[in-house]
Amino acid sequence: MIALLASELRRFRSRRLVRLLTLLELVGILVAGVIVYVTQEYELSSFPNVLKGTSFILLSVGWLLGASAIGADWHTGHVTTILTWEPRRGRLIWAKIAAALVQVFVISIVLQAVLGLVLGIDAAAKGSTAGVDATWLSESAAVALRVGLLSSLFAAIGFGLASAGRNTAVALGVGFGYLVVVENLVRGLRPEWIRWLLTENTALVVTNDPNLGIPLEGRSPEEAGFYIVAICLVLLLGAAALFRMRDVT
Amino acid sequence: MDAVIEVEGLRKEYRRVRGAKTVAVDGLDLAVPSGGVFGFLGPNGAGKTTTIRCLLGLVRPSGGRCRLLGHEPPQLHRVIERVGSIVESPTMFPRFTGRRNLELLARISGIGPSRVREVLEEVGLAGRADDLVKTYSLGMKQRLGIAGALLKDPEVLILDEPANGLDPAGIVEVRELMRHLGRQGRTVFVSSHILTEVQQTADRVAILARGRTVAAGPVHEVLTAGRATGLLVRLDDLDAGMRALADAGIEASSEDGRIRVGLPPEEAARVTRALAERGLYLSELRPDEADLETVFLELTGGGETEPR
Repeated sequence: MIALLASELRRFRSRRLVRLLTLLELVGILVAGVIVYVTQEYELSSFPNVLKGTSFILLSVGWLLGASAIGADWHTGHVTTILTWEPRRGRLIWAKIAAALVQVFVISIVLQAVLGLVLGIDAAAKGSTAGVDATWLSESAAVALRVGLLSSLFAAIGFGLASAGRNTAVALGVGFGYLVVVENLVRGLRPEWIRWLLTENTALVVTNDPNLGIPLEGRSPEEAGFYIVAICLVLLLGAAALFRMRDVT
Repeated sequence: MDAVIEVEGLRKEYRRVRGAKTVAVDGLDLAVPSGGVFGFLGPNGAGKTTTIRCLLGLVRPSGGRCRLLGHEPPQLHRVIERVGSIVESPTMFPRFTGRRNLELLARISGIGPSRVREVLEEVGLAGRADDLVKTYSLGMKQRLGIAGALLKDPEVLILDEPANGLDPAGIVEVRELMRHLGRQGRTVFVSSHILTEVQQTADRVAILARGRTVAAGPVHEVLTAGRATGLLVRLDDLDAGMRALADAGIEASSEDGRIRVGLPPEEAARVTRALAERGLYLSELRPDEADLETVFLELTGGGETEPR
Protein backbone atom coordinates (compact mmCIF):
# COMPACT_ATOMS: atom_id res chain seq x y z
CA MET A 1 0.00 0.00 0.00
CA ILE A 2 2.90 2.33 0.81
CA ALA A 3 4.47 1.70 -2.61
CA LEU A 4 1.13 2.33 -4.31
CA LEU A 5 0.63 5.54 -2.36
CA ALA A 6 4.18 6.69 -3.14
CA SER A 7 3.57 5.98 -6.81
CA GLU A 8 0.30 7.92 -6.80
CA LEU A 9 1.89 10.84 -4.96
CA ARG A 10 4.60 11.00 -7.58
CA ARG A 11 2.11 10.59 -10.42
CA PHE A 12 -0.01 13.46 -9.07
CA ARG A 13 3.04 15.67 -8.64
CA SER A 14 4.16 14.92 -12.17
CA ARG A 15 0.92 16.02 -13.79
CA ARG A 16 1.30 18.95 -16.14
CA LEU A 17 -1.91 20.57 -14.89
CA VAL A 18 -0.67 20.50 -11.29
CA ARG A 19 2.60 22.13 -12.25
CA LEU A 20 0.95 24.64 -14.56
CA LEU A 21 -1.68 25.77 -12.04
CA THR A 22 0.86 25.99 -9.23
CA LEU A 23 3.15 28.03 -11.42
CA LEU A 24 0.31 30.31 -12.50
CA GLU A 25 -0.66 30.90 -8.89
CA LEU A 26 2.94 31.67 -7.97
CA VAL A 27 3.21 34.15 -10.85
CA GLY A 28 -0.13 35.67 -9.79
CA ILE A 29 1.15 36.10 -6.23
CA LEU A 30 4.33 37.78 -7.45
CA VAL A 31 2.40 40.11 -9.77
CA ALA A 32 -0.01 40.95 -6.94
CA GLY A 33 2.99 41.66 -4.70
CA VAL A 34 4.42 44.09 -7.26
CA ILE A 35 1.04 45.82 -7.75
CA VAL A 36 0.54 46.16 -4.00
CA TYR A 37 4.06 47.55 -3.64
CA VAL A 38 3.54 50.11 -6.38
CA THR A 39 0.01 51.22 -5.50
CA GLN A 40 -0.19 51.26 -1.71
CA GLU A 41 1.54 51.11 1.64
CA TYR A 42 0.53 47.66 2.73
CA GLU A 43 -0.28 46.92 6.37
CA LEU A 44 0.63 43.33 7.14
CA SER A 45 -1.87 43.18 10.00
CA SER A 46 -4.63 42.70 7.39
CA PHE A 47 -3.02 39.53 6.02
CA PRO A 48 -5.56 37.09 7.55
CA ASN A 49 -8.32 38.97 5.70
CA VAL A 50 -6.33 38.72 2.47
CA LEU A 51 -6.15 34.96 2.96
CA LYS A 52 -9.90 34.80 3.52
CA GLY A 53 -10.58 36.96 0.46
CA THR A 54 -8.39 34.92 -1.87
CA SER A 55 -9.46 31.52 -0.55
CA PHE A 56 -11.96 30.97 -3.36
CA ILE A 57 -9.06 30.75 -5.84
CA LEU A 58 -7.38 27.96 -3.89
CA LEU A 59 -10.68 26.15 -3.40
CA SER A 60 -11.44 26.31 -7.13
CA VAL A 61 -7.96 25.05 -7.97
CA GLY A 62 -8.41 22.27 -5.42
CA TRP A 63 -11.65 21.22 -7.09
CA LEU A 64 -9.97 21.20 -10.51
CA LEU A 65 -6.87 19.29 -9.35
CA GLY A 66 -8.97 16.73 -7.49
CA ALA A 67 -11.15 16.21 -10.55
CA SER A 68 -8.21 15.86 -12.92
CA ALA A 69 -6.41 13.42 -10.59
CA ILE A 70 -8.88 10.72 -11.64
CA GLY A 71 -10.61 12.28 -14.65
CA ALA A 72 -7.42 12.41 -16.71
CA ASP A 73 -6.65 8.78 -15.87
CA TRP A 74 -10.09 7.76 -17.10
CA HIS A 75 -9.76 9.91 -20.20
CA THR A 76 -6.36 8.50 -21.23
CA GLY A 77 -7.15 4.90 -20.30
CA HIS A 78 -4.48 4.92 -17.63
CA VAL A 79 -6.90 3.38 -15.15
CA THR A 80 -6.73 0.16 -17.18
CA THR A 81 -2.95 0.11 -17.05
CA ILE A 82 -2.81 0.75 -13.30
CA LEU A 83 -5.40 -1.94 -12.60
CA THR A 84 -3.18 -4.49 -14.31
CA TRP A 85 -0.61 -3.64 -11.63
CA GLU A 86 -2.93 -3.27 -8.65
CA PRO A 87 -6.21 -5.11 -9.26
CA ARG A 88 -7.59 -4.32 -5.80
CA ARG A 89 -9.71 -1.39 -6.82
CA GLY A 90 -10.47 -0.23 -3.29
CA ARG A 91 -6.80 0.18 -2.52
CA LEU A 92 -6.16 1.92 -5.79
CA ILE A 93 -8.91 4.52 -5.51
CA TRP A 94 -8.19 5.33 -1.86
CA ALA A 95 -4.49 5.71 -2.69
CA LYS A 96 -5.43 8.11 -5.48
CA ILE A 97 -7.75 10.03 -3.17
CA ALA A 98 -5.11 10.27 -0.45
CA ALA A 99 -2.45 11.40 -2.93
CA ALA A 100 -4.70 14.11 -4.37
CA LEU A 101 -5.98 15.41 -1.04
CA VAL A 102 -2.60 15.50 0.68
CA GLN A 103 -0.91 17.28 -2.19
CA VAL A 104 -3.69 19.80 -2.71
CA PHE A 105 -3.39 20.60 1.00
CA VAL A 106 0.38 21.05 0.71
CA ILE A 107 0.08 23.20 -2.41
CA SER A 108 -2.54 25.38 -0.73
CA ILE A 109 -0.45 25.89 2.42
CA VAL A 110 2.74 26.60 0.44
CA LEU A 111 0.99 29.15 -1.80
CA GLN A 112 -0.49 30.94 1.20
CA ALA A 113 2.94 31.01 2.81
CA VAL A 114 4.44 32.47 -0.36
CA LEU A 115 1.67 35.08 -0.43
CA GLY A 116 2.49 35.94 3.18
CA LEU A 117 6.16 36.23 2.37
CA VAL A 118 5.56 38.50 -0.64
CA LEU A 119 3.16 40.77 1.27
CA GLY A 120 5.54 40.71 4.25
CA ILE A 121 8.31 42.03 2.01
CA ASP A 122 5.93 44.71 0.67
CA ALA A 123 4.99 45.74 4.21
CA ALA A 124 8.58 45.77 5.44
CA ALA A 125 9.81 47.75 2.43
CA LYS A 126 7.08 50.34 2.09
CA GLY A 127 4.09 49.71 4.35
CA SER A 128 3.69 48.77 7.98
CA THR A 129 4.24 45.69 10.10
CA ALA A 130 2.45 47.14 13.09
CA GLY A 131 0.17 44.63 14.81
CA VAL A 132 2.24 41.66 13.67
CA ASP A 133 2.48 39.68 16.86
CA ALA A 134 1.81 36.20 18.20
CA THR A 135 -1.97 36.70 17.96
CA TRP A 136 -1.65 37.78 14.34
CA LEU A 137 0.56 34.79 13.61
CA SER A 138 -1.83 32.28 15.15
CA GLU A 139 -4.82 33.87 13.38
CA SER A 140 -2.98 33.81 10.03
CA ALA A 141 -1.93 30.18 10.58
CA ALA A 142 -5.48 29.20 11.52
CA VAL A 143 -6.95 30.80 8.39
CA ALA A 144 -4.26 29.19 6.21
CA LEU A 145 -4.94 25.82 7.82
CA ARG A 146 -8.71 26.14 7.32
CA VAL A 147 -8.25 27.18 3.68
CA GLY A 148 -5.77 24.34 3.17
CA LEU A 149 -8.20 21.78 4.60
CA LEU A 150 -11.09 23.22 2.60
CA SER A 151 -8.96 23.04 -0.57
CA SER A 152 -8.50 19.34 0.12
CA LEU A 153 -12.22 18.90 0.73
CA PHE A 154 -13.02 20.67 -2.53
CA ALA A 155 -10.48 18.39 -4.22
CA ALA A 156 -12.41 15.47 -2.74
CA ILE A 157 -15.66 16.80 -4.22
CA GLY A 158 -14.02 17.24 -7.63
CA PHE A 159 -12.47 13.77 -7.38
CA GLY A 160 -15.76 12.13 -6.43
CA LEU A 161 -17.69 13.74 -9.29
CA ALA A 162 -14.97 13.09 -11.89
CA SER A 163 -14.62 9.48 -10.79
CA ALA A 164 -18.35 8.87 -11.03
CA GLY A 165 -18.51 10.60 -14.42
CA ARG A 166 -15.17 9.18 -15.58
CA ASN A 167 -14.15 12.60 -16.83
CA THR A 168 -12.72 15.84 -15.45
CA ALA A 169 -15.23 17.86 -17.44
CA VAL A 170 -18.12 16.18 -15.61
CA ALA A 171 -16.82 17.46 -12.28
CA LEU A 172 -16.30 20.95 -13.67
CA GLY A 173 -19.69 21.00 -15.38
CA VAL A 174 -21.53 19.74 -12.32
CA GLY A 175 -19.63 22.20 -10.13
CA PHE A 176 -20.44 25.12 -12.38
CA GLY A 177 -24.09 24.09 -12.70
CA TYR A 178 -24.44 23.64 -8.96
CA LEU A 179 -22.74 26.89 -7.94
CA VAL A 180 -24.25 29.09 -10.62
CA VAL A 181 -27.69 27.59 -11.15
CA VAL A 182 -28.72 25.47 -8.17
CA GLU A 183 -27.41 27.71 -5.41
CA ASN A 184 -28.86 30.86 -6.96
CA LEU A 185 -32.22 29.18 -7.48
CA VAL A 186 -32.23 28.04 -3.85
CA ARG A 187 -31.31 31.51 -2.62
CA GLY A 188 -34.11 33.03 -4.67
CA LEU A 189 -36.84 30.44 -4.28
CA ARG A 190 -36.13 28.51 -1.09
CA PRO A 191 -34.17 30.74 1.30
CA GLU A 192 -34.89 28.31 4.16
CA TRP A 193 -32.62 25.79 2.41
CA ILE A 194 -29.63 28.13 2.35
CA ARG A 195 -28.20 26.39 5.39
CA TRP A 196 -27.47 23.38 3.14
CA LEU A 197 -25.61 25.30 0.45
CA LEU A 198 -21.91 24.65 -0.01
CA THR A 199 -20.94 28.29 -0.56
CA GLU A 200 -22.47 29.63 2.66
CA ASN A 201 -21.07 26.78 4.75
CA THR A 202 -17.65 27.24 3.19
CA ALA A 203 -17.71 30.99 3.86
CA LEU A 204 -18.58 30.30 7.47
CA VAL A 205 -15.62 27.92 7.86
CA VAL A 206 -13.20 30.32 6.16
CA THR A 207 -14.26 33.36 8.20
CA ASN A 208 -14.80 31.35 11.37
CA ASP A 209 -17.21 34.12 12.41
CA PRO A 210 -20.97 33.46 12.59
CA ASN A 211 -21.64 37.16 13.05
CA LEU A 212 -20.44 38.31 9.62
CA GLY A 213 -23.86 38.27 8.00
CA ILE A 214 -23.63 34.79 6.48
CA PRO A 215 -27.28 33.60 6.54
CA LEU A 216 -26.74 30.38 8.52
CA GLU A 217 -28.49 31.19 11.76
CA GLY A 218 -27.65 28.88 14.62
CA ARG A 219 -24.88 27.05 12.75
CA SER A 220 -21.36 27.19 14.12
CA PRO A 221 -18.23 27.13 11.91
CA GLU A 222 -17.46 23.67 13.28
CA GLU A 223 -20.89 22.39 12.27
CA ALA A 224 -20.44 23.91 8.82
CA GLY A 225 -17.07 22.15 8.58
CA PHE A 226 -18.56 18.80 9.56
CA TYR A 227 -21.34 19.31 7.03
CA ILE A 228 -18.77 19.83 4.23
CA VAL A 229 -16.79 16.79 5.41
CA ALA A 230 -20.01 14.76 5.31
CA ILE A 231 -20.69 15.85 1.72
CA CYS A 232 -17.15 14.84 0.75
CA LEU A 233 -17.42 11.47 2.48
CA VAL A 234 -20.71 10.67 0.76
CA LEU A 235 -19.26 11.61 -2.62
CA LEU A 236 -16.01 9.69 -2.09
CA LEU A 237 -17.73 6.57 -0.74
CA GLY A 238 -20.12 6.67 -3.68
CA ALA A 239 -17.26 7.12 -6.12
CA ALA A 240 -15.28 4.28 -4.51
CA ALA A 241 -18.30 1.97 -4.63
CA LEU A 242 -18.89 2.77 -8.30
CA PHE A 243 -15.20 2.29 -9.04
CA ARG A 244 -15.31 -1.19 -7.48
CA MET A 245 -18.51 -2.23 -9.23
CA ARG A 246 -18.28 -0.92 -12.73
CA ASP A 247 -16.58 -2.50 -15.73
CA VAL A 248 -13.42 -0.83 -16.96
CA THR A 249 -13.88 -0.75 -20.71
CA MET B 1 -1.52 -30.16 -19.35
CA ASP B 2 -0.74 -27.30 -16.97
CA ALA B 3 -3.08 -24.49 -18.00
CA VAL B 4 -2.05 -21.01 -16.98
CA ILE B 5 -5.21 -19.52 -18.45
CA GLU B 6 -8.50 -21.40 -18.10
CA VAL B 7 -11.80 -20.13 -19.39
CA GLU B 8 -15.00 -22.13 -19.03
CA GLY B 9 -18.31 -21.07 -20.52
CA LEU B 10 -17.37 -17.41 -20.25
CA ARG B 11 -20.19 -15.04 -21.12
CA LYS B 12 -20.23 -11.27 -21.11
CA GLU B 13 -23.20 -9.12 -21.93
CA TYR B 14 -23.14 -5.36 -22.00
CA ARG B 15 -26.33 -3.52 -21.31
CA ARG B 16 -26.84 -0.72 -23.76
CA VAL B 17 -29.16 2.27 -23.81
CA ARG B 18 -32.84 1.35 -23.31
CA GLY B 19 -31.94 -2.03 -21.84
CA ALA B 20 -30.75 -3.64 -25.07
CA LYS B 21 -28.03 -6.23 -24.51
CA THR B 22 -24.88 -6.81 -26.51
CA VAL B 23 -23.34 -10.23 -26.17
CA ALA B 24 -19.58 -9.80 -26.47
CA VAL B 25 -18.53 -13.28 -25.30
CA ASP B 26 -20.91 -16.19 -25.56
CA GLY B 27 -19.88 -19.36 -23.71
CA LEU B 28 -16.17 -19.25 -24.48
CA ASP B 29 -13.95 -22.17 -23.49
CA LEU B 30 -10.18 -21.90 -23.57
CA ALA B 31 -7.15 -23.53 -22.00
CA VAL B 32 -3.70 -22.03 -22.50
CA PRO B 33 -0.82 -24.31 -21.52
CA SER B 34 2.31 -23.11 -19.82
CA GLY B 35 5.19 -21.84 -21.99
CA GLY B 36 5.39 -20.69 -25.60
CA VAL B 37 3.32 -18.31 -27.66
CA PHE B 38 -0.45 -18.77 -27.79
CA GLY B 39 -2.32 -16.92 -30.52
CA PHE B 40 -5.84 -15.76 -29.75
CA LEU B 41 -7.34 -15.05 -33.14
CA GLY B 42 -10.58 -13.52 -34.17
CA PRO B 43 -12.06 -10.80 -36.32
CA ASN B 44 -12.85 -7.40 -34.87
CA GLY B 45 -15.73 -7.61 -32.42
CA ALA B 46 -15.27 -11.36 -31.83
CA GLY B 47 -14.72 -10.86 -28.09
CA LYS B 48 -10.93 -11.06 -27.78
CA THR B 49 -10.43 -7.89 -25.78
CA THR B 50 -13.47 -8.56 -23.62
CA THR B 51 -12.07 -12.00 -22.76
CA ILE B 52 -8.73 -10.44 -21.82
CA ARG B 53 -10.49 -7.81 -19.72
CA CYS B 54 -12.41 -10.56 -17.91
CA LEU B 55 -9.18 -12.46 -17.23
CA LEU B 56 -7.57 -9.34 -15.79
CA GLY B 57 -10.57 -8.46 -13.66
CA LEU B 58 -11.32 -5.28 -15.58
CA VAL B 59 -14.82 -6.37 -16.49
CA ARG B 60 -17.10 -8.68 -14.56
CA PRO B 61 -18.27 -11.78 -16.49
CA SER B 62 -22.02 -12.26 -16.84
CA GLY B 63 -21.49 -16.01 -16.58
CA GLY B 64 -18.90 -18.77 -16.65
CA ARG B 65 -15.46 -18.75 -15.09
CA CYS B 66 -12.00 -17.63 -15.94
CA ARG B 67 -8.78 -18.29 -14.08
CA LEU B 68 -5.32 -16.86 -14.49
CA LEU B 69 -2.56 -18.93 -12.89
CA GLY B 70 -5.29 -20.78 -11.01
CA HIS B 71 -6.93 -17.67 -9.58
CA GLU B 72 -10.25 -16.11 -10.47
CA PRO B 73 -10.35 -12.30 -10.88
CA PRO B 74 -11.27 -11.47 -7.26
CA GLN B 75 -8.06 -13.21 -6.13
CA LEU B 76 -5.99 -11.86 -8.97
CA HIS B 77 -3.86 -9.74 -6.63
CA ARG B 78 -2.25 -12.97 -5.39
CA VAL B 79 -0.67 -13.60 -8.79
CA ILE B 80 -0.61 -10.19 -10.46
CA GLU B 81 3.14 -9.93 -9.80
CA ARG B 82 3.57 -12.92 -12.17
CA VAL B 83 1.46 -11.42 -14.96
CA GLY B 84 2.41 -8.66 -17.38
CA SER B 85 -0.17 -7.27 -19.77
CA ILE B 86 -1.10 -4.73 -22.37
CA VAL B 87 -4.79 -4.17 -22.99
CA GLU B 88 -5.43 -2.40 -26.29
CA SER B 89 -2.99 0.50 -26.69
CA PRO B 90 -0.53 0.93 -23.84
CA THR B 91 -1.11 4.28 -22.18
CA MET B 92 1.94 6.26 -21.20
CA PHE B 93 2.43 9.89 -20.25
CA PRO B 94 3.54 11.58 -23.49
CA ARG B 95 5.43 14.37 -21.73
CA PHE B 96 7.53 12.02 -19.63
CA THR B 97 10.52 10.10 -20.89
CA GLY B 98 10.17 6.40 -21.57
CA ARG B 99 12.33 5.66 -18.55
CA ARG B 100 10.27 7.86 -16.24
CA ASN B 101 7.04 6.24 -17.40
CA LEU B 102 8.45 2.83 -16.55
CA GLU B 103 9.79 4.05 -13.21
CA LEU B 104 6.31 5.27 -12.26
CA LEU B 105 4.90 1.81 -12.97
CA ALA B 106 7.82 0.04 -11.33
CA ARG B 107 7.30 1.98 -8.12
CA ILE B 108 3.87 0.34 -7.61
CA SER B 109 5.55 -3.03 -7.15
CA GLY B 110 8.74 -1.73 -5.58
CA ILE B 111 10.79 -2.59 -8.67
CA GLY B 112 14.13 -0.82 -8.85
CA PRO B 113 15.77 1.20 -11.65
CA SER B 114 18.10 -1.65 -12.64
CA ARG B 115 15.11 -3.71 -13.84
CA VAL B 116 13.86 -0.66 -15.76
CA ARG B 117 17.23 -0.53 -17.53
CA GLU B 118 17.06 -4.27 -18.27
CA VAL B 119 13.65 -4.16 -19.92
CA LEU B 120 14.56 -1.07 -21.92
CA GLU B 121 17.54 -3.04 -23.24
CA GLU B 122 15.37 -6.08 -23.88
CA VAL B 123 12.92 -4.20 -26.09
CA GLY B 124 15.67 -2.21 -27.80
CA LEU B 125 14.75 1.19 -26.38
CA ALA B 126 17.80 1.84 -24.21
CA GLY B 127 19.10 4.44 -26.66
CA ARG B 128 15.88 6.45 -26.58
CA ALA B 129 14.94 5.86 -22.94
CA ASP B 130 15.52 9.47 -21.96
CA ASP B 131 13.53 10.99 -24.82
CA LEU B 132 9.97 12.15 -24.30
CA VAL B 133 7.39 9.54 -25.21
CA LYS B 134 5.61 12.05 -27.47
CA THR B 135 8.64 11.88 -29.78
CA TYR B 136 8.38 8.08 -30.10
CA SER B 137 7.06 6.33 -33.19
CA LEU B 138 4.04 4.05 -32.80
CA GLY B 139 6.33 1.03 -32.83
CA MET B 140 8.48 2.49 -30.08
CA LYS B 141 5.42 3.25 -27.96
CA GLN B 142 4.27 -0.32 -28.44
CA ARG B 143 7.69 -1.59 -27.40
CA LEU B 144 7.62 0.69 -24.38
CA GLY B 145 4.26 -0.85 -23.49
CA ILE B 146 5.78 -4.31 -23.78
CA ALA B 147 8.69 -3.14 -21.63
CA GLY B 148 6.15 -2.06 -19.02
CA ALA B 149 4.54 -5.48 -19.17
CA LEU B 150 7.96 -7.10 -18.75
CA LEU B 151 8.94 -5.07 -15.70
CA LYS B 152 7.63 -7.67 -13.30
CA ASP B 153 9.63 -10.38 -15.10
CA PRO B 154 6.29 -12.16 -15.59
CA GLU B 155 5.62 -15.83 -16.20
CA VAL B 156 2.58 -14.90 -18.24
CA LEU B 157 2.38 -12.07 -20.74
CA ILE B 158 -0.99 -11.04 -22.08
CA LEU B 159 -0.69 -8.85 -25.14
CA ASP B 160 -3.79 -7.49 -26.80
CA GLU B 161 -3.16 -6.71 -30.47
CA PRO B 162 0.50 -5.76 -29.92
CA ALA B 163 1.09 -5.15 -33.63
CA ASN B 164 -1.85 -2.80 -34.05
CA GLY B 165 -0.94 0.22 -36.12
CA LEU B 166 2.66 -0.84 -36.64
CA ASP B 167 4.47 -0.61 -39.95
CA PRO B 168 5.96 -3.82 -41.41
CA ALA B 169 9.30 -3.26 -39.69
CA GLY B 170 7.54 -2.70 -36.37
CA ILE B 171 5.47 -5.87 -36.84
CA VAL B 172 8.63 -7.88 -37.46
CA GLU B 173 10.24 -6.36 -34.34
CA VAL B 174 7.27 -7.24 -32.15
CA ARG B 175 7.06 -10.72 -33.67
CA GLU B 176 10.73 -11.38 -32.95
CA LEU B 177 10.28 -10.09 -29.43
CA MET B 178 7.32 -12.40 -28.80
CA ARG B 179 9.23 -15.40 -30.13
CA HIS B 180 12.17 -14.49 -27.92
CA LEU B 181 9.92 -14.22 -24.86
CA GLY B 182 8.23 -17.51 -25.67
CA ARG B 183 11.62 -19.21 -25.97
CA GLN B 184 12.50 -17.93 -22.50
CA GLY B 185 9.79 -20.24 -21.14
CA ARG B 186 7.21 -17.54 -20.55
CA THR B 187 3.63 -18.00 -21.65
CA VAL B 188 2.85 -15.30 -24.19
CA PHE B 189 -0.88 -14.98 -24.82
CA VAL B 190 -1.30 -12.72 -27.80
CA SER B 191 -4.57 -11.65 -29.34
CA SER B 192 -4.58 -10.56 -32.92
CA HIS B 193 -6.56 -10.37 -36.10
CA ILE B 194 -3.35 -10.32 -38.15
CA LEU B 195 -3.09 -13.92 -39.24
CA THR B 196 0.42 -13.96 -40.60
CA GLU B 197 1.68 -12.50 -37.34
CA VAL B 198 0.15 -15.36 -35.37
CA GLN B 199 1.02 -18.08 -37.88
CA GLN B 200 4.67 -17.09 -37.79
CA THR B 201 4.84 -16.62 -34.04
CA ALA B 202 2.46 -18.89 -32.18
CA ASP B 203 2.88 -22.50 -31.16
CA ARG B 204 -0.82 -22.90 -30.47
CA VAL B 205 -3.89 -20.93 -31.48
CA ALA B 206 -7.51 -20.52 -30.59
CA ILE B 207 -9.84 -19.01 -33.16
CA LEU B 208 -12.74 -17.01 -31.87
CA ALA B 209 -15.92 -16.07 -33.73
CA ARG B 210 -19.05 -14.44 -32.35
CA GLY B 211 -17.79 -14.82 -28.80
CA ARG B 212 -17.04 -18.56 -29.00
CA THR B 213 -13.99 -20.70 -29.68
CA VAL B 214 -14.39 -22.33 -33.09
CA ALA B 215 -10.99 -24.03 -33.25
CA ALA B 216 -8.07 -24.51 -30.89
CA GLY B 217 -4.83 -26.43 -30.74
CA PRO B 218 -1.32 -26.48 -32.14
CA VAL B 219 -1.09 -24.30 -35.25
CA HIS B 220 -0.41 -27.18 -37.67
CA GLU B 221 -3.37 -29.16 -36.29
CA VAL B 222 -5.72 -26.25 -36.68
CA LEU B 223 -4.43 -25.74 -40.21
CA THR B 224 -5.02 -29.35 -41.22
CA ALA B 225 -8.14 -30.09 -39.19
CA GLY B 226 -10.95 -31.55 -41.28
CA ARG B 227 -9.10 -31.40 -44.57
CA ALA B 228 -7.29 -33.99 -46.67
CA THR B 229 -3.55 -33.91 -46.22
CA GLY B 230 -1.32 -34.05 -49.23
CA LEU B 231 1.88 -33.01 -50.90
CA LEU B 232 2.57 -30.57 -53.70
CA VAL B 233 5.27 -31.51 -56.19
CA ARG B 234 6.82 -29.36 -58.88
CA LEU B 235 9.08 -30.76 -61.60
CA ASP B 236 9.89 -30.03 -65.25
CA ASP B 237 8.00 -32.91 -66.92
CA LEU B 238 4.60 -33.13 -65.26
CA ASP B 239 3.28 -35.89 -67.53
CA ALA B 240 6.26 -38.15 -66.87
CA GLY B 241 5.90 -37.46 -63.19
CA MET B 242 2.22 -38.38 -63.24
CA ARG B 243 3.00 -41.66 -64.99
CA ALA B 244 5.79 -42.51 -62.55
CA LEU B 245 3.55 -41.92 -59.55
CA ALA B 246 0.66 -43.89 -61.08
CA ASP B 247 3.01 -46.82 -61.75
CA ALA B 248 4.11 -46.68 -58.10
CA GLY B 249 0.47 -46.87 -57.00
CA ILE B 250 0.40 -43.30 -55.66
CA GLU B 251 -2.76 -41.29 -56.20
CA ALA B 252 -1.93 -37.94 -57.84
CA SER B 253 -3.52 -35.19 -59.86
CA SER B 254 -2.10 -32.36 -61.90
CA GLU B 255 -3.15 -28.80 -61.17
CA ASP B 256 -1.71 -25.34 -61.79
CA GLY B 257 1.61 -26.64 -63.14
CA ARG B 258 2.10 -28.87 -60.08
CA ILE B 259 1.21 -32.38 -59.01
CA ARG B 260 -0.95 -32.86 -55.98
CA VAL B 261 -0.18 -36.15 -54.27
CA GLY B 262 -2.68 -37.79 -51.94
CA LEU B 263 -0.13 -38.87 -49.33
CA PRO B 264 0.49 -37.37 -45.93
CA PRO B 265 3.73 -35.34 -45.55
CA GLU B 266 5.28 -38.18 -43.51
CA GLU B 267 5.30 -40.34 -46.67
CA ALA B 268 7.12 -37.83 -48.86
CA ALA B 269 10.02 -40.27 -49.30
CA ARG B 270 7.76 -42.59 -51.37
CA VAL B 271 7.19 -39.78 -53.83
CA THR B 272 10.84 -38.80 -54.19
CA ARG B 273 11.85 -42.47 -54.61
CA ALA B 274 9.22 -43.15 -57.29
CA LEU B 275 10.29 -40.10 -59.26
CA ALA B 276 14.03 -40.58 -58.82
CA GLU B 277 13.80 -44.19 -60.06
CA ARG B 278 12.59 -42.72 -63.39
CA GLY B 279 15.33 -40.10 -63.42
CA LEU B 280 12.91 -37.31 -62.54
CA TYR B 281 14.09 -34.71 -60.06
CA LEU B 282 11.97 -32.34 -58.05
CA SER B 283 12.22 -28.59 -58.00
CA GLU B 284 9.72 -28.32 -55.11
CA LEU B 285 8.10 -30.63 -52.59
CA ARG B 286 5.97 -29.29 -49.76
CA PRO B 287 2.94 -30.18 -47.63
CA ASP B 288 -0.35 -29.08 -49.13
CA GLU B 289 -1.74 -27.19 -46.12
CA ALA B 290 -4.21 -24.38 -46.00
CA ASP B 291 -2.77 -21.22 -44.55
CA LEU B 292 -4.23 -19.78 -41.41
CA GLU B 293 -6.02 -17.10 -43.36
CA THR B 294 -8.06 -19.68 -45.28
CA VAL B 295 -8.89 -21.62 -42.12
CA PHE B 296 -9.73 -18.43 -40.28
CA LEU B 297 -12.09 -17.21 -42.98
CA GLU B 298 -13.77 -20.60 -43.21
CA LEU B 299 -14.25 -20.86 -39.46
CA THR B 300 -15.29 -17.30 -38.80
CA GLY B 301 -17.50 -16.99 -41.84
CA GLY B 302 -15.49 -14.26 -43.50
CA GLY B 303 -15.91 -10.64 -42.59
CA GLU B 304 -16.09 -8.84 -39.30
CA THR B 305 -18.17 -10.15 -36.47
CA GLU B 306 -20.16 -7.38 -34.98
CA PRO B 307 -21.39 -7.78 -31.43
CA ARG B 308 -24.99 -8.83 -31.11
